Amino acid sequence: MVKAIEAAGLPVVHMCTVTPISMTVGANRIVPTIAIPHPLGNPALEKDEEYALRKGLVEKALKALTTEVDGQTIFDN
Amino acid sequence: MKLEVGHIFINDIQFASESKIENGVLYVDEEAVKAIVLEDEKIKGVKFDIAKPGESVRITPVKDVIEPRVKVEGRGGVFPGVIAKVDTVGSGKTYALKGMAVVTAGKIVGFQEGIIDMSGPGAEYTPFSKLNNLVVVCEPVDGIKQHEYEKAVRLAGFRVAVYLGELARELTPDETKTYETYGIMEGKEKFPNLPRVAYVQMLQSQGLLHDTYVYGVDAKRTLSTIMNPTEVMDGAIVSGNCVSACDKNPTYVHENNPVVHDLFEEHGKTINFVCQILTNENVYLADKMRSSDWTAKMCRLLDLDAVIVSQEGFGNPDTDLIMNCKKIEAEGVKTVIITDEYAGRDGKSQSLADADPAADAVVTGGNANQVIVLPKMDKVIGTEEFVTIIAGGNEHSHREDGTIEVEIQAITGATNETGFGYLSAR
Repeated sequence: MVKAIEAAGLPVVHMCTVTPISMTVGANRIVPTIAIPHPLGNPALEKDEEYALRKGLVEKALKALTTEVDGQTIFDN
Repeated sequence: MKLEVGHIFINDIQFASESKIENGVLYVDEEAVKAIVLEDEKIKGVKFDIAKPGESVRITPVKDVIEPRVKVEGRGGVFPGVIAKVDTVGSGKTYALKGMAVVTAGKIVGFQEGIIDMSGPGAEYTPFSKLNNLVVVCEPVDGIKQHEYEKAVRLAGFRVAVYLGELARELTPDETKTYETYGIMEGKEKFPNLPRVAYVQMLQSQGLLHDTYVYGVDAKRTLSTIMNPTEVMDGAIVSGNCVSACDKNPTYVHENNPVVHDLFEEHGKTINFVCQILTNENVYLADKMRSSDWTAKMCRLLDLDAVIVSQEGFGNPDTDLIMNCKKIEAEGVKTVIITDEYAGRDGKSQSLADADPAADAVVTGGNANQVIVLPKMDKVIGTEEFVTIIAGGNEHSHREDGTIEVEIQAITGATNETGFGYLSAR
């Protein structure tokens, strides 16, 4: 899906836990997430902490979306 | 470490007033095994049934399959850290009841439990259709949490298997096989010219009812480690997972792991079977990276020439598999990987979620998406109620004529990734 949408001309950020698979399938902007059963959250955290974590991930993804890349890039900072 | 495994052939199972093994027949006192299961207060009720090869019987939803064994000489007991006390097993003498199994079944635990057909086309896909099965159908107390129920059923199966194994303690085995591996230096001196080979076994450890236990330790909380391959023959590894039925390793597969047995066949002839390396399949990327780093590091430390890597389950563990393969190959150690495929019903889709050119020697256990129609059976042990929601089933699985259409994913052991099943490809 990532590749098909990009082929239509829209940039895509792939948020995922297993970034090597994302690299194998050819995503260009990759944002690493938490864990396979809960990629965009962490049930071990308090509600406020989890909210901050989730917001941070979305902000990171938006930043990746607006960043020029030269080939496949993992945004892990 | 040296282990003698005595085989006691069981040709039939019958309920009787006294539990015993006589002339290849296992007699089971139903009240005695019932009391063993009901020791756990989380289990409200239990029913036993016997399923024999060739009968028009379907067992579902199947949780685990277990071969009864008893330790008659040497350290420890069967299922160390789980039933027996923690002690190093794998040496001395063990008796195994061959030709039979304890099968745990009942109301669904997770959403991925399996089907064993004792006859018909489905039986051709599961090795467990060839066994005389004592089926334990447990009913949990009301309001129990899923993971508590899973644990209760898991342990009940082991307790019943240990009880039945004990019946063989004073018997004389029909045949005995001996397995022995050596210390690192000793093995090198004994077989100076044979390639040094190990077995890397990946254990399902994704959590949320996808777990495996090593000497009672939850594998997701372990670092990759090594052990003697005879240890699994005493139940050092047990299944606690409800992952897709076709490619999870029931406890029976751990006890009889075909990779271990085939490597022993060649041990001292064409290879030096050095050891078994255990590693896990966790859901955090850092864990995947750490565990595969560790596995590759040990392959180098042990000066191996080659390894066989087996996977358990599918999807994200494909990445653990490829990481192991890539990193071990990068250490100059050759790999053969064993996996299975989710290539779509027509077999035309990509088989694995991950890939790498280093994976140039791959053995498949078959395509789990292959569709099969299972005929109506005269008798169902457990319930067919859940075939629509187990992995491999769908809302149309119950057909009007009473047959069931599922992917072979739903059949216990169909695409086993240790080669325990019947499928492969050339």
